[in-house]
Amino acid sequence: MLEAIPVLSLITWIPLAGALLMILLPTRNARALRWVAGLFTAVPLVLAIWLYAEYKPAIGGRPYEEAYTWLTVPLSRAGAEGIASLELAFDYLMGVDGLSLPLTLLTGIVSMMALLASVHIRKRWKTFYVLFLLLQTGMYGVFLTRDVVWFFIFFELTLIPAFFLIGIWGLEGREKAANRFLVYNGVGSALMLLAFLMLVATAGFTATPGAGGDALRFSGSYDVLLANLSGSGSQSMLASDPIFQLSDGMRWAAFVLLVIAFGIKLPMFPFHTWMLRVHAEAPPSIVMVHAGVLLKMGAYGLIRFAAQLFPAELREAADVLAVLGVVGILYGAVLAFVQKEFRLLLAYSSVSHMGIVLLGVASLNDVGLTGAVFQAVSHGLIAALLFLIVGSLYERTGTTRIDELGGLAKSVPFMSGILLTAGLANLGLPGLSGFVGEFLSFLGLFESMKVLTVFGVLGVLLSAAYMLRGVMSITFGPQSPRYDGIKEARFVEALPMVALVALIVLLGVYPSLLTGPMQPSFDPLVEAFKSGVGG
Amino acid sequence: MATVFAAYAWLVPALPLAAFALLTAFGRSLRTTGAWVAILASLGSLALALLIAGERLAGAEDYSQSFNWLAFGTATLSVGIDVTNLTSLMMVVVTVVGFLVNVYSYGYMRDDERMTVFYAYVSLFLASMLGLVLADNLLMLYIFWELVGVCSFLLIGFWYHKPEARDAAKKAFIVTRVGDLGLLIAVLLLFWYMPGHALDFTSIGNVFGNDGGAISAGITTLIALLIFLGAVGKSGQFPLHVWLPDAMEGPTPISALIHAATMVAAGVFLVARTFVIFEASPAAMATVAAIGAFTAIFAATIALAQNDIKRVLAYSTVSQLGYMMLGLGVGSVVAGMFHLFTHAFFKALLFLAAGSVIHAVHTQDIREMGGLGSRMKTTAWTFGIGALALAGIPPLAGFWSKDAILAAALERNPLLFVVGAVTAFLTALYMSRLFYMVFAGKPKDDSHAHAHESPAVMTAPLVVLAALSVIAGFVETPWYGWFGEWLTGEAAHHAGYLAMIVATAAGLLGLYLGWLIWQKGTIDRKALAARMPGLVRVLERKYYIDEFYDLVFVRSLRRLGYVLRAIDGLVVDGAVRLVAVTAQAVGRLNTRMQSGQLQGYLLAAVFSVVILVLAVAGRRLW
Repeated sequence: MLEAIPVLSLITWIPLAGALLMILLPTRNARALRWVAGLFTAVPLVLAIWLYAEYKPAIGGRPYEEAYTWLTVPLSRAGAEGIASLELAFDYLMGVDGLSLPLTLLTGIVSMMALLASVHIRKRWKTFYVLFLLLQTGMYGVFLTRDVVWFFIFFELTLIPAFFLIGIWGLEGREKAANRFLVYNGVGSALMLLAFLMLVATAGFTATPGAGGDALRFSGSYDVLLANLSGSGSQSMLASDPIFQLSDGMRWAAFVLLVIAFGIKLPMFPFHTWMLRVHAEAPPSIVMVHAGVLLKMGAYGLIRFAAQLFPAELREAADVLAVLGVVGILYGAVLAFVQKEFRLLLAYSSVSHMGIVLLGVASLNDVGLTGAVFQAVSHGLIAALLFLIVGSLYERTGTTRIDELGGLAKSVPFMSGILLTAGLANLGLPGLSGFVGEFLSFLGLFESMKVLTVFGVLGVLLSAAYMLRGVMSITFGPQSPRYDGIKEARFVEALPMVALVALIVLLGVYPSLLTGPMQPSFDPLVEAFKSGVGG
Repeated sequence: MATVFAAYAWLVPALPLAAFALLTAFGRSLRTTGAWVAILASLGSLALALLIAGERLAGAEDYSQSFNWLAFGTATLSVGIDVTNLTSLMMVVVTVVGFLVNVYSYGYMRDDERMTVFYAYVSLFLASMLGLVLADNLLMLYIFWELVGVCSFLLIGFWYHKPEARDAAKKAFIVTRVGDLGLLIAVLLLFWYMPGHALDFTSIGNVFGNDGGAISAGITTLIALLIFLGAVGKSGQFPLHVWLPDAMEGPTPISALIHAATMVAAGVFLVARTFVIFEASPAAMATVAAIGAFTAIFAATIALAQNDIKRVLAYSTVSQLGYMMLGLGVGSVVAGMFHLFTHAFFKALLFLAAGSVIHAVHTQDIREMGGLGSRMKTTAWTFGIGALALAGIPPLAGFWSKDAILAAALERNPLLFVVGAVTAFLTALYMSRLFYMVFAGKPKDDSHAHAHESPAVMTAPLVVLAALSVIAGFVETPWYGWFGEWLTGEAAHHAGYLAMIVATAAGLLGLYLGWLIWQKGTIDRKALAARMPGLVRVLERKYYIDEFYDLVFVRSLRRLGYVLRAIDGLVVDGAVRLVAVTAQAVGRLNTRMQSGQLQGYLLAAVFSVVILVLAVAGRRLW
């Protein structure tokens, strides 16, 4: 009975259904709107938790895959010998593995927390919640689909709601920030699309031998791409035809396109400048989703496409990626140290922490890859927590400039304690989740690039310097009298704070909870790195 | 004898941890109940630690327990506990001082509205410190190592509204983290060089214990020095000592517990725990001895010129930790750990007594004190005992442990022995200065004339610690090497009476000179200071090291940040914008030349970015 339920599709499409339902609701009733949005955010989260608990392919559990043919376009096969039929297929493929599962759960958690944090939204609730639900469908889809065409669609689906959410509900410079966001991500999407087209047109084929010759079919299925690129694909005679092979040059072109496309999203130095403005100008609850999940789509794409499809190229380019990662770590950290605006400090901190993800990917071993995904999830939770507090503080003080705040521990000891905890998690304190991701990434990279790792480790010191400077300037020291009367967090604000802190502590103390499902998915990848053969 | 209690060793850190969780969850509604929860938890830990130590004294076998923490295809990281003589000794030290400080704080912190928070932090500290002590592998030790650091940070900054406390807390965290990086890199090195990626101390012992083992001499030295860098940070050794004196901004019981008896000694414990790596590297041993000896004499000179009662004691702690390192560096784990053991008691005593004084007169400046001896008899007596123990006057505890270090140094290197003996003289001198300026003479301030003794809840721990400061040394004397045998299984050796006579003479000379200067006034200290103003100034300013660090590190980092900020806005952002604009222009050109070629636009954008990446790739490191 339960087996028949298409869990992955439900997770992905329920928020969209919620958005459609919400359009029908009266605009005036803010309370009802909030509850409906909450319900349609909570159900996918519950399903994602259930999925996480149930996913045990290693012991023969259900693999959770959904595959349907969506539509096929027959192509002209004039002049082709031995080909019975030729078609371009758009399949609806959903699936989950150790890489996408943790990120799916992260999406659910951060979305729920961001929804709770949206109590601060003051205008046009209905549109806000509709866009917010649309954004969720996009994010879940990105992680759960197993077809590059659908990946692209879902990826674009996140851009549009995010653009409006930033542009309408942001702070003073919101429109410029939204434009920046769209332009950069648009460039990234274009590069990604180009790479995907190259892939589908060559490695996307499957040949089925038949009476009148082979039936050829082009699709964007991950499995097909993976099999063909690694040379273990179709056994047909046609498979050896150069038309269906990517030349070395084209492989490199596709690889570089993918790295840049997802590098912009991550963001990777030097493509990070667009997200500074988003961090500074977007409404805090959207920054929670942005820093918490959207940036992680970059990490996901890097591992899913650049690493899994092109392991040989990644092995060649690992040095470059590691250098970019280390530069990002140090560059972001030094810049965070001189920021006067706390949001910008956190933005540069994100640049620095995403550099660590890059290191994990460049390590080419299971320790580092685990570290990269762990870091992505952990930073998602920590960044969400930090911006949750930023939002609540901004509501009360009207500013998040470091030099205008101070001594808030007197009026708001609870929120200050949470901010301090989040800060400590961000600087990688053991016992909290940030440490595990950093440690594993460094540990992984250290195998092959020792000197570079040591430079990366220096970032740990710098992160302590800028994080403590930021947090302690806000909460420690004498309090300005103008903040005497500010109120402690309300229940609806405190709830997500406590929940996120609990998760951060849980993952810090018991990291196996997250790394458990990842391992089997990385084994073939690590094998591929070792052998240097694609796939 | 069978191991009965050792199997419950995990409870020793778990009890304070539970207290922390309880106090954090229920917060301020608890007040004094919260204090009781913390005190009882630490009492429970103390009782269990004593039972385990008793069991070990009776000859129980080592006990260990471990679980998988993280598993990969290639390796497994585990967490576990290790009950050995060394770890059970540390457990006793930590729980004894921890319990007494908890009791003392009940009086000291009574008027503070955040008393529950204080006890929560202290409980978390005790849990972390005990976890550090029990850890069976280096990664787990590192985790708790950072956690005690953060507790220290929280407690230094406990009075968060004071800007000095805030700055001191931040400084403590960042400076010790410099050392922590060393330890972290050592963990990375060990993971990849140890056979089977093992990080547990047993495997480390097996690998490095065999000469010519799997790991080359260069790497061994590197690992040892990196571990030592961690110890230098935590134990306030030169050149990372700068945080410890500033840490005195925290409440005084914290100075006693964390910044004198336990956490700062963790560096010494770490070196002792991984001693087999150091033994495999003569260069690393020489470094430990040299840094230790230099720190000992260097900090002792600064202590002479400080006027804050807690800062004098803080520099004294730095100096004594240098002694311990010296002991380890000349090859004697017994001497180093023995001094750690006795120092924990008499230095905690001195800090708590100083706290009692501060509680009474509400100042920390010794120039404003004086004549307190008659009004605070218990405090004065116990402080005096602590001072004598620290000065190494027989037969108090400090004498025996300092003698063990000096004897070991004499055997290895006479120069190190001389440095140690001069430090012993300086120690006696600054302690007599402190004692006479605080307790002898006449009150400087009328309000201090009404100062009175602290309540019994504060003086009782002083008496207990004073008793320990008297007797703790008898476990290891030149004629009776029980402690050393128990700790390392080998009989300790002694160089005879020379070290003992010199050390005692140096201590007595220091006390006599101090008496002449600050009590009897035979030597006019004003004239003395006037004759060498430069030296006094340098000592008062602590050799200008803080100023130097501020100039070299803090300011240059900030300056670099400003430069990068400009670059980020103009060059990086500008370059990406330029690429976009160029791509657009090329695209337009293409569109004009071959209308409808959208690919041209895209390709140009791609092409530009590819060039950018190739430019970066061209500068590959290797």
